[in-house]
Amino acid sequence: MKIRIIGTLIIMVLIGVGYAADVKGKITFDGKAPKMKPLRMDADPVCVANSDIKPRKEWLILDENNSIKNVLVFVKESKSGSLADSYDTPKESAVIDQKGCVYVPHVLGIMVGQTLDILNSDGTLHNIHALPKVNKEFNKAMPRSKKQMSVKFDKVEAPFKVKCDVHPWMGAYLGVFDHPYFAVTDDSGAYTISGLPAGKYVIEAWHEKLGTQTADITVDDSGASQDFLFKKPSKKK
Amino acid sequence: MSNDHNHHEESFFRKYIWSTDHKIIGIQYGFTALFFLLVGFSLMMVMRWQLAYPETRIPFVGSIFGDDGILLPEIYNSLGAMHGTIMIFLGIVPLAVGAFGNYLVPLQIGAPDMAFPKLNAASYWSYLVGGLVMMSSFFTEEGAARSGWTSYPPLADIEVGQTIWLIGMIFLITSSLLGSMNIITTIVQLRAPGLTWMRLPFFVWAQLVTSFLLVLAFPPLEAAAVLQLMDRVVGTSFFLPSGLVVSGELMEVSGGGSPLLWQHLFWFLAHPEVYVLILPAMGIVSEVIANNSRKPLWGYNSLVFATIFLGFMSFIVWAHHMFLTGMGTAMSAFFQTTTMIISIPSVIILSALFISLWGASIRFNTPMLFALAFLPMFGIGGLTGLPLGLAAADIYLHDTYYVIGHFHYVVAPGTIFGLFAGIYYWYPKITGRKMNESLGKLHFWPSLLFMNGIFMPMFIQGLAGVSRRLWDGGLEYAHASGVFHWNEFMSISAWLLGLAQIPFILNVFYSIFRGEKVDNNPWESTTLEWSAPSPPLPHVNFETLPTVYRDPYEYSLPGRNRDFTPQSEPKKNK
Repeated sequence: MKIRIIGTLIIMVLIGVGYAADVKGKITFDGKAPKMKPLRMDADPVCVANSDIKPRKEWLILDENNSIKNVLVFVKESKSGSLADSYDTPKESAVIDQKGCVYVPHVLGIMVGQTLDILNSDGTLHNIHALPKVNKEFNKAMPRSKKQMSVKFDKVEAPFKVKCDVHPWMGAYLGVFDHPYFAVTDDSGAYTISGLPAGKYVIEAWHEKLGTQTADITVDDSGASQDFLFKKPSKKK
Repeated sequence: MSNDHNHHEESFFRKYIWSTDHKIIGIQYGFTALFFLLVGFSLMMVMRWQLAYPETRIPFVGSIFGDDGILLPEIYNSLGAMHGTIMIFLGIVPLAVGAFGNYLVPLQIGAPDMAFPKLNAASYWSYLVGGLVMMSSFFTEEGAARSGWTSYPPLADIEVGQTIWLIGMIFLITSSLLGSMNIITTIVQLRAPGLTWMRLPFFVWAQLVTSFLLVLAFPPLEAAAVLQLMDRVVGTSFFLPSGLVVSGELMEVSGGGSPLLWQHLFWFLAHPEVYVLILPAMGIVSEVIANNSRKPLWGYNSLVFATIFLGFMSFIVWAHHMFLTGMGTAMSAFFQTTTMIISIPSVIILSALFISLWGASIRFNTPMLFALAFLPMFGIGGLTGLPLGLAAADIYLHDTYYVIGHFHYVVAPGTIFGLFAGIYYWYPKITGRKMNESLGKLHFWPSLLFMNGIFMPMFIQGLAGVSRRLWDGGLEYAHASGVFHWNEFMSISAWLLGLAQIPFILNVFYSIFRGEKVDNNPWESTTLEWSAPSPPLPHVNFETLPTVYRDPYEYSLPGRNRDFTPQSEPKKNK
């Protein structure tokens, strides 16, 4: 009897592993990389002192291969009904830090109800001003003595801006999802969405300036791969 | 008039809560307003901790403000906005007009009650509801208003907390309108026989002009408050311009509105409001000075005409608060000229009161000490206002601590000292007992000292360019570094001023039961209220309604057997 139960469990685990795979890809920029101007933080000497390197504007960060950092890739829709009705909220907090007077990370995805810890590693006054359209807007000051605060978001929402009104160059973007299948591209423009059940999906790649792209993918036992190529948007006439 | 009302038994609820007797309503106003003054002052004491010791845990009450016990900027902004709102609209105006006006105007004109007793009660209850609505905002998720007591758009249109503030203001303005119409009607219609206009005590004149200011200036603000409420609640854009960008983001508003329109409507009320704050105090101080200098007020006619002129002029100076809005040099020139002109009647009033002291045998009792202190304190407040009335100087001083020092000298050691003088002076009329003199002096001297300790350094900081409404008191600003240390001095003065109010609070309650019992006219005064019993009879005030035969301040006149002659004393036939 015991052997049967253990055998069944092993089979179920194997099936489960087989039906959850990773989606990987790389996102690159097609065109001449624009010259990114350095950030001028002179208005606050603390910001200058806290910056290890001379920071540059963050709206487009490319590596030598034109791979784009900070693209949020996420499952937008399941065409095969493979997503569960609901997912457990992660117990671990997502974290965004105000460090050297920039937000680290610059783009972040979190789940509905998940705690977002907002840190202030700078010894200066920041205010974190979230500008969601669906969730509730908030604008909280974080003086140098307030090192951490926590917030939660109740509703699914496409990426929205979070900014500091004290240091106008500071900006970050936050997307809120009701599932855990999202990822942000790293320095080499690569992303991995882990543990996605087999099935057909629409995934979206979102960039703060270059816009969005979607792709239909099919995830099988070996996972899936989907690259995106972004172009500089044409100027509006 | 028959005194039958006096024999009519009323239930406790009807007599003391849901009363239409002007005296009970006056007392209700008085206690409520004093409570709100304490609340408003307490907010400032918390703020002063942050200014003196930025980002450190607030002692005793820190846990109210979160685990860190630190006053965060958004809460600081709320406390600042609510401090101003509470002190002006819930504290001083209701005390000066609602309490003193209600209690004393009918008595001083020899009337049995206000002209519209039920309207009077409605005025108080509207005030109380407005006050409770305002206070409730502290307990909402959004928190209390944080856009300043001036509620300037576009900030006030988009910042949290302002909706409840606006609803509260609508109740408060309604209350003031009901109360002031009542006072005007009462003075015009219910004066005792023989009480001609130029026999009115100066306090009554001050209340009359104040009430006209309220009646004429508050409606535009009430309308403006409704419009701003609509901007916030139903998406109109009366005060929001097209293409409004907030925090770098384009606002989704229909636009086409004007933020400056609000400033005009607000200051059209709020500058006359300054005189609403000061005139009743001047009226009180005049009564106290005449009585305790044992002399007629010097230049009574000048005082009356100066007050009327002051009231008129107060309607055409409002835009001196707006020199920095870019309204143009022609407009600035006009308003700075009218502002210089309005200083003339103020100087006449202050000079007349100073001259009234000349050669007098002054009784230095507690009400007189407060009244005497009012004169130089208001003088400092008034004179420091002159540079703010000139556009060139105001460009530098606008929105600095200099402005805060200026108007607090007018309102705090100015008006509030006047109101304290009135409380000590008329307390025997209300209770039949005097307040304790020793406790009174223990209240006065530290209050005088610490008031100056708070507000005088503000001129120094303001002249150094330190902006008002800075959450950290200027800590992060290089130009403030040389004067930042004054914050600690001012804060300690503020907390000691708070301690100095304890003798007053004790005195108010102690003297109700243990104060020295006195007759109807313990100060040997001339005006009509002192001919009524202490306390005056419910609903009818006087045993028999008085007739007036004399001017209001017949003190130390030669040939009399006493140094005062009450207004109701008939002249002897020659």
